Amino acid sequence: MNLKKYKHAITAVCVLGSLAVAGIAGKDFYDFRHYEEVIIPGEGVTSTFQLSDYNENLKGTFGDTTVYVMEGEKEGGSFLVLGGTHPNEPSGHMAAITMIESGKVEAGTVYVIPRTDNSAFTHNDAQEASPHFFHIETESGTREFVFGSRASNPIDQWPDPDVYTHQSGQTLSGSEMRNINRTYPGVKDGTLTEQISYAITNMITTLDIDMEMDLHEASPEYPTVNATVAHERAMDMASMGILELQMAGVDMSLEPSPVTLRGLTHRELGDHTNTLALLMETGNPSQGRLHGATSEELIIDGKDKFYEKAAELGYLYIPYDENGASLDMRIGRHLQGCVEYMKAFSDMYGAEKGEIIMTGIPSYEDLTSGGKTIGDYLN
Amino acid sequence: MSTELIIFIVMIGVFMLCCFWAKLPVGVAMMLSAVAGCIVGGKGLPVRHLVEGTFSYIDTILVISTAMVFMKVVEKSGALDALSTVIIKRFHRYPAILLILIMLVIMFPGMITGSSTAAVLSAGSIMAPVLLLMGIDTVSAAAIIAMGGLMGMVAPPVNLPAMIIGGGIDVPFVGFGIPLLLLTIPIAIFSALFLGLKPASKMDYSKVEAKLNTEITEKYGIRIYIPLVVLILLMALTKIFKVIPDIGMPLMFVVSAAVGMFTGRKFNIFQTIAEAVHSSLPVMGILMGVGMFIQIMTLTGVRGFIVMTCLGLPESVRLIAAGISIPLFGAVSSFGAASVLGVPFSLAFLNMDTVYTIAGLSFIASLGDMMPPTALAGIFAAQVTGVEKYTAVLKKCMIPMIVMVIYGLIFIYFSKSIAAFF
Repeated sequence: MNLKKYKHAITAVCVLGSLAVAGIAGKDFYDFRHYEEVIIPGEGVTSTFQLSDYNENLKGTFGDTTVYVMEGEKEGGSFLVLGGTHPNEPSGHMAAITMIESGKVEAGTVYVIPRTDNSAFTHNDAQEASPHFFHIETESGTREFVFGSRASNPIDQWPDPDVYTHQSGQTLSGSEMRNINRTYPGVKDGTLTEQISYAITNMITTLDIDMEMDLHEASPEYPTVNATVAHERAMDMASMGILELQMAGVDMSLEPSPVTLRGLTHRELGDHTNTLALLMETGNPSQGRLHGATSEELIIDGKDKFYEKAAELGYLYIPYDENGASLDMRIGRHLQGCVEYMKAFSDMYGAEKGEIIMTGIPSYEDLTSGGKTIGDYLN
Repeated sequence: MSTELIIFIVMIGVFMLCCFWAKLPVGVAMMLSAVAGCIVGGKGLPVRHLVEGTFSYIDTILVISTAMVFMKVVEKSGALDALSTVIIKRFHRYPAILLILIMLVIMFPGMITGSSTAAVLSAGSIMAPVLLLMGIDTVSAAAIIAMGGLMGMVAPPVNLPAMIIGGGIDVPFVGFGIPLLLLTIPIAIFSALFLGLKPASKMDYSKVEAKLNTEITEKYGIRIYIPLVVLILLMALTKIFKVIPDIGMPLMFVVSAAVGMFTGRKFNIFQTIAEAVHSSLPVMGILMGVGMFIQIMTLTGVRGFIVMTCLGLPESVRLIAAGISIPLFGAVSSFGAASVLGVPFSLAFLNMDTVYTIAGLSFIASLGDMMPPTALAGIFAAQVTGVEKYTAVLKKCMIPMIVMVIYGLIFIYFSKSIAAFF
């Protein structure tokens, strides 16, 4: 068949086909970028403000995000919880939302940012084939939550340089420039990601926040997992917290923040502010490179046959079997961790700065063997 | 047989059918094989996933298209002829030294950008006429340029596969200079001499001299070289000295090409741009197809199946598995191979020296840029030397590539001892 005869017709079909594909995909990306995730604050939230209050450059951008303030009746220390630093690590995001929706602060003040890198919630990582959303059953019905990307949206910050040079001089692959946990302490008028990290650093300094916790997940084959990473000033307190976590049935290792690894919260917030900087990691099978088909079930149940095989071969740094590593269990680890570190802070610094006490959030036991699910704690 | 294996076989089968039976362009074949993978994997036709997969290569496509415009401009302005003439006149008596110098020149843009494409399309295209004038056949010249591109992308100071692997396990890009030099310099010298010394030694200068185009230099003087100087200057100022903000490779190529419009022979710029884009379209199409292919592999679990199959091999053959699977996976992208296989393998080899192991893995991963269908270094090297079929270049490079894999594996195996020595 002589296709040259139909050259114009073929071209027209290709153009129309491309436009149709661009239209369908474009609408999908646009809708996802502008999706408004619903967070229903509980009675524990006493006020809110925007992160742009601490860097006016963020106003009106996708980098601006809501900070939830939970003030106790009794004065005390202050604690900042960062969820959603990496929106493809959903247990950190969901633990922060659970605090906002069901937590109540008895003493001190807790600041919670559930969408730390808000821009990263507006897209997914190319070639990771992640679902846009995952769903959780609650008393009020099925709730929808966003599964985003590790890095800010390139629409907000593009192009990446070939090499990202952190202000300390450390060089990383160019795309890491959109990873907020490589940009601390941030730059006031830098890239959008640097502006966000600057605002968080500035907020901690201005409000003189005593303790900070950055909630993360790592792939199960990554050595720093089921771990707390602590700045050297926070090591003693973290050690106390770890002991309590072990008592509560949560196996957690303690790692010192590497001095040579720059741009991360546990290093830079510890160095540039007075806060006691901590970071927690749980093992997330939907995040690594070994998992099978991507799906919402993988995010929620954490069950994957390839990770089972990897566990048998000794590749994993978390206990893993046919029961998987559920989102409930991972959220439980984070929440129990926050509670224990609040207790440890109160024990060590309570006399000087006042206690930090939060109630109403589920324990690790509640979400594992206690017959409850995270949906029971969401509004 | 696992579901993932069936999906993978279907994807590969559809790709082969489209390529060899229907004679469709490789990019289109990859897109159709991705669609087939979706359907067999029970995912329907997820338009969003197919498009999202291509996003990984937007920046690469910009570099390719602008580099190609630059290459065409320096060729049409006469700068290539002029530079070749000068180099041959000065160094024709010392072919071995000349070959090594040419290799280092080809490597340079890759060293500072981390891209073999940038190296091949900029310095590679400039050195191609020199190699041909030295009496080296087009295929060998393309092979030298392609190997130079690979060595350039691996050599310090910028090595993106190593940064990607390091980033995956939180190893900062510090202390990589020596291992990367130990890996690249010997292989660069070996490749240049192995592929080019024999014909270059037989060069009859009296015959070559007659072919040299001296008129260009006489007519335009040193101003003919200005676009090349501008490109080198922009690279140096942004990447090495960092005195001005990094404007990105695409803009550097565009600025240098714009300058080239006024420094030599006159030519039709619109026609030149059209030619450049036309010649780079197949590769850009391949990259789009590859993006869809990888996304669907991840979506359907084929990626996990491949990674676990490699990691599931007995410990004794795991190193060999890395040496085979990483370059093969590089057929879709060397950076993809570094991320998908390089990270798990570096974790599997944690008992070795981490930095030297990552350096070795990145060295092996660079071979992905020679693997069809993407084969960025190989395809562009073929283009700049006028070789029609890239497969001839691949065949020519086979021995240096095998040496690279063996050397890289030995380097990883003895990484602790080598690191201790330095």
